[in-house]
Amino acid sequence: MRILLQAGLVGLGMLAAATAARAQSDVIEGPLIRPAVSSSDPRDLSGVWFIRLYNRQINSTLGRLPPFTEKGKAEWDKRVKAEKDGSPIADASAYCWPHGVPRVMNSPYPIQIIQTDGETTIVHEVAHNIRHIYMDQSHPQSITPSFMGDSVGHWEGDTLVIDTIGLNDLTWIDEVGVIHGKQLHVIEHIRKIEDGHALENIIRIEDPEFFKEPWYARITYAWRPDLRLSEYVCEENNRNMPVNGHTVAQ
Amino acid sequence: MMPRVSFRGLAPLAAALLLLGSTGSSLAQPIYHPPPGQNFEGVWLIVGDHSLIKTVKGKLPPLNRAGAAEYAAHLKARKAGKPDFDTIQTCKPHGFPRILFAAYPIEVLQEPKQVTFIHEVHHMPRIVYLDLTLPKLEDIDPKWMGESAGHWEGDTLVVDSLGFNDLTTLDTAGLPHSTDMRVHERIRKLDSDTLEDLITVDDPKTYTAAWSTRVTYKRQPGRRLKEYVCTYSNPEAHAAGR
Repeated sequence: MRILLQAGLVGLGMLAAATAARAQSDVIEGPLIRPAVSSSDPRDLSGVWFIRLYNRQINSTLGRLPPFTEKGKAEWDKRVKAEKDGSPIADASAYCWPHGVPRVMNSPYPIQIIQTDGETTIVHEVAHNIRHIYMDQSHPQSITPSFMGDSVGHWEGDTLVIDTIGLNDLTWIDEVGVIHGKQLHVIEHIRKIEDGHALENIIRIEDPEFFKEPWYARITYAWRPDLRLSEYVCEENNRNMPVNGHTVAQ
Repeated sequence: MMPRVSFRGLAPLAAALLLLGSTGSSLAQPIYHPPPGQNFEGVWLIVGDHSLIKTVKGKLPPLNRAGAAEYAAHLKARKAGKPDFDTIQTCKPHGFPRILFAAYPIEVLQEPKQVTFIHEVHHMPRIVYLDLTLPKLEDIDPKWMGESAGHWEGDTLVVDSLGFNDLTTLDTAGLPHSTDMRVHERIRKLDSDTLEDLITVDDPKTYTAAWSTRVTYKRQPGRRLKEYVCTYSNPEAHAAGR
């Protein structure tokens, strides 16, 4: 069984560095079961992808922290301090809840994109998160907030645009201390780059409660035809189940 | 990646775009469409109650002595209201094949080399690879869902699975299995709205012979999978069972 890497653990920096090294590797290991470049069709995103340059802190595309409101900054400071003091505040993944959007797109585990009639599905190895993205549809009139929200997608040229709302306020945006409220609105622009060797995701994040203005993050993923998703069951052995809202190493 | 088989509607759309001078925001992407007989895509829901599995002949599966003892203990624990053997009590996965008998919808997604089953319950995926030779049992790290390889025999999807842990039971009642269990499935459509899964369980450590059971699922037009998060709705249970 996969060992859980829970956010906010003391010493997580070392683990993050190790997983980041894995994520950064562009070397394809193991036997090839599919071509090393994804199909020449720019709209065929199907297959397994793996984040590159994984960083548990999400910076904006300007290379700095998001444009926090006073509240956003206070929540950030609180979380950074709690971790520094050795008592990190637990995020959703520490409870084995889904990671939420966009957090799940910034995880050092493989993801698999499946494109079928009317839907794009992303199966994430981490905590068996599933994203259902309904194509060429509007959001429902009334949405009950959920961990993964309500996602609809469409194509603009060769870019898949995903619009996500209806998120609850239990997940974080990164693993350090960027959090959000129920007003969070995420727009992703996903396209193939580097002749199909990689995917780029430009993520627009808007939540007036926590950010003074919308901001952007950029994440890329390597084409990994050599990988099959493995089983990751947080529920089996959550050794770091939060106690009173704080992650505890056991 | 495999060639996309169908480019439905691309040419007329392209023509329309030329006329409109649009940037192409509604251009359809090429999507794989399985042959009609092999097309299981959509959302399905199990028919009937399968909390106590019987064989296709309506009998109790042929438990061996050890299996029968374990089953009796499970039945007793269930009756006493303390079914500690049951992993789903503490938000752990149903495991395979028990998840096939759950009263929650299943979404089927098909690609040329892969059939993916997304179970609403515990948002659990099962990926059946059509280009995989299953590893030997001893080479697999036991999993809740095992590893699955499939192939088409006409319009029947034939799936073999192995590599299971022994933490789960086969049904709610508590039919046991060992890590040696192999599961063989024959999945086909009986009509456009009915899917059948003929499931054969082969586990010589628990049963005196391989045996089969059968489930059917009905198509659920327009239904979408809901978010099911046991660890959120039952945090105490999850904490207690970790």
